[in-house]
Amino acid sequence: SQKEPREPQVPRSLIKEIFRHFAKMPMTRDAFKIVEKCSERYFQQLSNDLEAYTHHAGRKTVEAADLEVLMRRQGLVTDKMPLNVLIERYLPLEYRKLLIPVAVSGNKVIPRKIMFFF
Amino acid sequence: GRGRCVTRLKAAVHYTVGCLCEEVEEDKDVQFSKQSIAAISDITFRQCEIFAKDLEMFARHAKRTTVTTEDVKLLARRSNSLLKYITQKSEELASNNMEQKEKKKKKSSTAKGERTPGEQEAAGVQSLHLLK
Repeated sequence: SQKEPREPQVPRSLIKEIFRHFAKMPMTRDAFKIVEKCSERYFQQLSNDLEAYTHHAGRKTVEAADLEVLMRRQGLVTDKMPLNVLIERYLPLEYRKLLIPVAVSGNKVIPRKIMFFF
Repeated sequence: GRGRCVTRLKAAVHYTVGCLCEEVEEDKDVQFSKQSIAAISDITFRQCEIFAKDLEMFARHAKRTTVTTEDVKLLARRSNSLLKYITQKSEELASNNMEQKEKKKKKSSTAKGERTPGEQEAAGVQSLHLLK
């Protein structure tokens, strides 16, 4: 019998690593299972919300502005905590380079526009 | 000054909250202490600040400067039952507006389509009703 194709998901090891990094204490196996479930639900909710915000702006492609609205609603981005500061704080250098516009020689700004494809 | 304006607004909110609480008191046969009514009106006032900021953000996100019912619906998305209620009310409002417009058309063609100022206020009042 053929196996049913599994739903795409964030790797367990990555979830574990991230959670351990922030929790800074040992975690039982059951607790981790709950965290895994929660992150699954989180992504479901996230994609629903992004869809609503993108549709609201009359677009079909999710753009950075939609993500910023989402993160403002989550209370992560505020007037005192701009998105760029969060990017600088939590993302590795190579991603930071992609997300934060940098003026280069010849008066060009890269990247010109950030888009997220799902 | 601004301070006086805020005080007056707070007093107005407090009064309305008091009236709504009275309704609940009669309906559910419970009593609200003065402090709890004051707390609810304070919460309502602060919640309005959050609502206003979010609505402004949603309107700007859609490249508009006017807040519409679509923005209000987006605000209510977090709770399914609230979203259902708000959507239903906005549909009622829309159909009422249509009827009024048709009446206006029949009456005279001189008055050009003025926007009813009640639309946004009504949405605000409904969310206040939900807070009770």
